[in-house]
Amino acid sequence: MQDGVVLSTVDDFLNWGRKNSLWPMTFGLACCAIEMMATGMAKYDLERFGCGAFMATPRRADLMIVAGTVTLKMATRVKVLYEQMAEPKYVISMGSCANKGGPYWQHGYHVLKGVDEVVPVDVYVPGCPPRPEALIEGVMTLQKKIANERLLRNKWVKHA
Amino acid sequence: MLNVDFNKLASLINANVQGANATVNNAEDAKFDSSITVEASKIFAVCEFLKTNKEMPFNSLQCISGVDWVEFMEVCYMVAHFDTTAPREFILKVKVTDRVAPTVDSVVKVWAAANYQEREVYDMFGIKFNNHPDMRRILCPDDWQGWPLRKDYVAQKDYNGMAVYPDNKMNFEDREFIVRQDMIKKAQLAASSN
Repeated sequence: MQDGVVLSTVDDFLNWGRKNSLWPMTFGLACCAIEMMATGMAKYDLERFGCGAFMATPRRADLMIVAGTVTLKMATRVKVLYEQMAEPKYVISMGSCANKGGPYWQHGYHVLKGVDEVVPVDVYVPGCPPRPEALIEGVMTLQKKIANERLLRNKWVKHA
Repeated sequence: MLNVDFNKLASLINANVQGANATVNNAEDAKFDSSITVEASKIFAVCEFLKTNKEMPFNSLQCISGVDWVEFMEVCYMVAHFDTTAPREFILKVKVTDRVAPTVDSVVKVWAAANYQEREVYDMFGIKFNNHPDMRRILCPDDWQGWPLRKDYVAQKDYNGMAVYPDNKMNFEDREFIVRQDMIKKAQLAASSN
C-alpha cells in the first residue's frame, strides 16, 4: 500500500500497540504457575497474542498474573511488587486461590481471601488450576478491555 | 516397625540412660505402629545413646512431628538406621504436659536434621526447644500470633492491615464444627489447670 493513508484515532492506535505488547511479570506462587509456564511454552504459545515476553522485574512489566495461593505472608510482597510496576498496569487473578482463597477459603488461616483484598484486579480466571486455554481467554479479555480504554482522557495522562 | 525388638530396646535405654523411664506402647492392631515413650527431660541423653551405642545404633532422624492430644502434647521422633544388611526404624515419643510454656531439649547436636524439623514443631505447636541454634518460626511470618495446629487455636483478626477472615467473604455459620468447639473448650481447661 504505497503512499496509502490509514485513518484512526490516537486512542485506538495507542491501544492497539499496548494491547499487543503486554509484558507479564515472571511471577508464580503455586501450581497455577505451572499452567502459566505451559501457556508460555511451545504448545499453547502465549507469544501469538503478543503477551509472551515474561519480564524478570516489575519495573518493565505491565501485567501481573497472580498465579497461585496468596498467603498473608506473601500478600505484603505482592502489594510491593504491584506498586513497583509502572502505570498503566493490569492484574490477572489466576485460579481459585487468587480469586477467593480457593480450598483455603473457609478454614485457611494463612491464606488471603482473594488477591483483590490488596491489589485491584482486572480479570479473574476461574479454575483449579485453570487450563492454558482459560488463561489465554483471560489475556484476550484483558486485551479487549485495553482496546476500549480512552488513554488520553485517563487519569494516567497529565494534561497541560 | 522395621527390625526393632521394642522390649529389648526399651531395656537397653533404661540400662544406659539414668531416669529415662522408657516404656513400650504396644500397637493395638497390626495397622498401627508400636512406639517407645521416654521422659521429656532425658530426650537428649536418649537420642545420644541411640546414635552412639554399639548394640543397636540409629544413624538417622527421619522426621519430628508434634501431636496435640488436648490433655497433653506429644513430640514424636522417627528414628532410623540406614544399613544394607539390617535397616531399622522406630518411633520415639515424648510427652509435654505444660500447655502454657512447653519446652523440650533440642537434639540438633545429635542429628543435624532436627534443626528445621524442630523449628516447624515450634511454629505449629509453640513447643520451645532448649539449646536450639536458631529457634524462630519457619513457615508462618515472624510476627504471627498463636500456634496454628493446636486444638484450641483461634486465628487472629487481621495481619498487617489485611483481614484474615473478611466478614463479607466468609460463611461463618458453617465455619466452626461443634467437635472443634468442644476441643477448644477442653484445651483451654487443660491450659488453665496447669
